[in-house]
Amino acid sequence: MFEKMKEIVCEYVEVEPEEITEESRFIEDLGFNSYDVMCMMGDAEDKFDIEIDQEEAIKCKTVGDFLGYLGGLVNE
Amino acid sequence: MQKNIGGIIRDCYPLTPAQMVHIHTLNYSPTHEIVNIGTGQYLQTKLNVAALREALNRAVERCESMRMRIWKDPETGELWQYIEPYQNEFFEYYDFSEWQEETVTEVLTKWTSQPFDTFGGKLSRIVIVSLPDGYNGYYFNVHHACMDSGSVIAFAKDVMEIYSSLLYGLPYPKPMTSFIDSIKKDFEYEGSRKQKRDEEFWHKQLEMPEPIYTDYRGKEKLLRFREESGNPNQRWGLLTSSNGDGATITYELDVESTQKILDFAHEHDIPVSAVILHAIRTVLSKFNDDETDITIRDFVSRRSTVLNKKCGGVRMHCFPLRTIMSLDTTVLESMQIIKKAQEELFIHADYSTLKYMAETRERYGVGPGGSYHSMNFTYQPATLNSVVPYLKGIGFKSRWYSSGKQPQPMYITAMHRPGDGGLNFFFGYQKDCATPEEIEFLYYFTGRVLFRSIENPDKTIKEIIDMT
Repeated sequence: MFEKMKEIVCEYVEVEPEEITEESRFIEDLGFNSYDVMCMMGDAEDKFDIEIDQEEAIKCKTVGDFLGYLGGLVNE
Repeated sequence: MQKNIGGIIRDCYPLTPAQMVHIHTLNYSPTHEIVNIGTGQYLQTKLNVAALREALNRAVERCESMRMRIWKDPETGELWQYIEPYQNEFFEYYDFSEWQEETVTEVLTKWTSQPFDTFGGKLSRIVIVSLPDGYNGYYFNVHHACMDSGSVIAFAKDVMEIYSSLLYGLPYPKPMTSFIDSIKKDFEYEGSRKQKRDEEFWHKQLEMPEPIYTDYRGKEKLLRFREESGNPNQRWGLLTSSNGDGATITYELDVESTQKILDFAHEHDIPVSAVILHAIRTVLSKFNDDETDITIRDFVSRRSTVLNKKCGGVRMHCFPLRTIMSLDTTVLESMQIIKKAQEELFIHADYSTLKYMAETRERYGVGPGGSYHSMNFTYQPATLNSVVPYLKGIGFKSRWYSSGKQPQPMYITAMHRPGDGGLNFFFGYQKDCATPEEIEFLYYFTGRVLFRSIENPDKTIKEIIDMT
């Protein structure tokens, strides 16, 4: 899941996959703006074939937070 | 799909919904210059015409949408687009350095009023120019179905970076991305799960009671529409111009005041656009007898991925941003409501603007050209500031020129200036629909509301209105 998440992140910002860690913050470290974050989360919804609650998802500040949130949905 | 155009086989693609918005504008306009975007990018340094000509050529070669053409099938009337192969171009050079600034602006404005041949012709014009005060650069006029303000800025950034690289040996910029790849992704949207979600969202909006038209000059407009239609309960309005004659007035907010807005937005985790929209919304409420249901049309750049940020072209969609809030709502609550409404709009902005306009008309029985908004707004966060560090203190200015026509009665664009980062407010307006004096009043009143609001975030909208 982390590898797939890196691929998605790299579609939105010009970073190398190896620079992305679970601790990377979307806005401060990876250079997303809030609009990019929302679109990326919508994209992840389709790519992981799940349905996310945008209000909950937007609370995720790091890649790890979002992976944790996605993991919970996948397990459901 | 391949098409034989003038004896040459071309790879053709349909126009996207974002491009069709501008073709739709042309259908209702007597002249084609209404969709022109005129700009100029100038550096206050000695000009190297050959290097700039080379930089412009390389930038055109890297940017597919700069070579995009529209073709109308003579048999079916269908519209298609294709990319013309790159050919080296000799860009003209005009030396206006001894002229008065106002006279130069008049000339460049006149150039911007020259229409393009939409169906078949080249859709842009670039001229290298020297201005007074040692500024040199290029003037650029482009058809809106070809580029939007986001890609005009992306193209300008590419030109400046290539030019700086050629002259000063600075790093060569990474290539632009493919416009064709981006529109192919757009076409994948049709029938997708995302489209279904977006459609559900917008159809849910249409289940709400009918909105109400709020004019930037007050309630009298709606009352007059009602009188003309003979329907005392009519809630939509109709702003039209007989000829689309328009102008743009630019107001420059100083750096200190801009910083106040940015600091406030940062401190309260509110987007700058929502702070400005709150002010515009409050003004509309005040001018319309404290109306609580306000609709402003909001423009979305739809450039979140790297592909979309760097592909050029036009991707902008627009939708009504409708918020209903009582006058007891505090400033901060108002901005949070707008923030949430705007987030929802952004998430679902891939839906076709024209389709939603048609569905709105059908749902509420809106007459041709009618709507619920009198004002259009866009906040353009993209700037050329990333170029500035390369320039090491060289003066830099951007200019936007009117074509003399405006597709919207009133369109406010907030954009940061390159260099000092202060906010510019561009008021594009149709002359039949507003006067310069009304625009000035609107700007200063909106500014008063904005700064009273950020100084008093816990006050209610009613209290802010009373203070202004």
